[in-house]
Amino acid sequence: MNTPTLRLAGAALAGALATLAIVTVISVVRPQTNATQLVQPATTNNAPVSTANAPREPRPFDQVVVSTDWLAANLNNPQVRVIEVSVVPGLYERGHIPGAVNFVWTTDFVDTVARNIIAPERFQELARAAGINNDTTIVLYGDNYNWFAAWGAWVFRQYGATDVRLLDGGRSKWEAENRELSTRAPSYPAGAFTVQQDSSLRAFLPDVLKVVYGEADKVLVDIRSPDEFSGKIFAPEGFQELAVRAGHIPGAMNVPWKKALNDDGTFKSVEELRKLYADAGIDGSKPIITYCRIGERASHTWFVLSEILGYQVALYDGSWTEYGNSVGVPIANPAGTVWGVK
Amino acid sequence: MHAIPGSGAPAALSLLLGGALGIAFECGRFCFFCIFRDLIERRQAGPLYAILTALAISGIGYAIVFGAFLPNPASGRLAPDAHIGPVSPALALAGLVFGLGMALSGACISGHLYRLGEGSGSALPALAGALIGFGLGLRTWNWLYVTMIAGAPVIWLPNLIGYGGSLIVHLLVLGIIALSLLRWLAPLAEQPARAITPTYLRTVLLERRWNPLVTGAIVGIISVIAYLRIEPLGVTSQLGSLSRTVLHNYGLLPDRLNGLDSFAGCATQVVQTITTNGWLIGGLITGSLGAALLAGRFRPSLPRRSSSLAALAGGILMGWGAIIALGCTVGTLLSGIGAFALSGWVFGITVFAGVWIGITLRLHRWV
Repeated sequence: MNTPTLRLAGAALAGALATLAIVTVISVVRPQTNATQLVQPATTNNAPVSTANAPREPRPFDQVVVSTDWLAANLNNPQVRVIEVSVVPGLYERGHIPGAVNFVWTTDFVDTVARNIIAPERFQELARAAGINNDTTIVLYGDNYNWFAAWGAWVFRQYGATDVRLLDGGRSKWEAENRELSTRAPSYPAGAFTVQQDSSLRAFLPDVLKVVYGEADKVLVDIRSPDEFSGKIFAPEGFQELAVRAGHIPGAMNVPWKKALNDDGTFKSVEELRKLYADAGIDGSKPIITYCRIGERASHTWFVLSEILGYQVALYDGSWTEYGNSVGVPIANPAGTVWGVK
Repeated sequence: MHAIPGSGAPAALSLLLGGALGIAFECGRFCFFCIFRDLIERRQAGPLYAILTALAISGIGYAIVFGAFLPNPASGRLAPDAHIGPVSPALALAGLVFGLGMALSGACISGHLYRLGEGSGSALPALAGALIGFGLGLRTWNWLYVTMIAGAPVIWLPNLIGYGGSLIVHLLVLGIIALSLLRWLAPLAEQPARAITPTYLRTVLLERRWNPLVTGAIVGIISVIAYLRIEPLGVTSQLGSLSRTVLHNYGLLPDRLNGLDSFAGCATQVVQTITTNGWLIGGLITGSLGAALLAGRFRPSLPRRSSSLAALAGGILMGWGAIIALGCTVGTLLSGIGAFALSGWVFGITVFAGVWIGITLRLHRWV
């Protein structure tokens, strides 16, 4: 190789090393942003659940679940605020129901550090920024059969929103009907939403254990698949959050969440729903606790039982990933699976 | 529409965008390696203006789209699925290795894809090498993630100075590069007056290499449309997923690829179907084939053994780099810099350095 070539090689190597050095320096001296953020757990969040409040009268179906027709006719209704809660990133942004506000479930409905729902002050901020008042009619919808829209409905109801509805059939039905979508980001004058906490909608491990030990007369509803319920599998394929024990909470009834839906993703009729759960011994005569794996699918069943049927229902969002990992709690495992043994 | 991945409107649009990209790549010879080599070896900067134009146009378009997708970037959030990655020494290393692979195999991954449409003999071994490289990248991911990537900062300019400020900086940097390269532009030849006849149009549109500014503008516009409607442009997601699926099925992957799926980029996944990215790639090859056939540039060739081996080895290096950098020259460089991500610039600079070192070491002698 001749001299200019060698000089070039030297320059290139020097440039590459300089870049490497700069990048290394940046990554070493950068401030620790995410790691040390402390969260003040909302004290009320961890308070024991009061189940004293009476079940409310079931509201008519069409005031809890809205049809795509109703929503299309009410898009300009200032009393109505539409919220999309989808799991797939970019879905909302590339086209949402016109005027809908985006809530991201991983940051806007849950605490990003502690395993908890979002802190009340932060939620109040977000709700106000979306132009929501306590009496606003909130219509949630999303992908994935409204799973996280239902989770959002549960958080809104816990924090004092009175009129929370789901779009029947969710995002996929709106799309399937070739209805209008918009990519414009909406902006609304700030609302006056004030958090009024209703802790009766949430259950914690001690509440569940009271039922297991017969100290509280409630019904547990496990909404996972029969294979998860029986303990044949630890979690559905592809899901990372696991428990080291398989099976279910003793005494729980198994009604998979999807049974509440028709094939097109819309809810079954009130009569069908009432019969579906009554056949499993869940008729609303006793308070109910729903759970699943991390709480997302169980919020769907919570919505059906609490909002559509008007039963008294709390969601145990710790669900199997807390219960199945807890030390010393009794477990029913009909499949007899043993962790770590084939 | 989104119920089944890789079907419906997004798949159809991906196919069309891929086709357009294939035509632009082929007619404009938008090959990152050739463009870099012209600059490094021949001191000809002309073709590089295609990349600069593509970056400028996509920056403008991205700024407009970002304004709708994430109205307030000061919130600290990142725009959804834009290719904004962690800036770590691993990224710089991946860029260098990718650049060396480009020199060794004679093109980057997108370059090989469009050359497949031209019948290039070394494209197949290079792409096969890339599939192997993806596998190696996935096998080494966990270690690099824990040692370097997990703690690395994800730096997105709009978080700091908003979209307007980012666009000004973006265009300023590109403008400075463009101005400083002016001296390496060949003088414009005097051209006689020409009648615009169908024959002339055919010559200009098909036979002659497109003006770099035109090629760059078209690539930039396609990049923005892809982000607006489907996902940021990238060409390694489907191929990487193929490697991941095969390795997964044979149990050759770690049970858990820590953090890999949580970054935006040319994400790989275990799939049994063609994703929208697969349709894009299909369109790219088809578009390039169509353009090459019309222009008489379709020349199927069998590579010599030495150049096949070089292409295979280069492909392996590129595949590894593309997994660690979460994309290649299209996904991380083009879609990343266009989205104002520092990771895009770091990858771009290190890829260029890698190509430079490769050319200096004459790694491209087998091309």
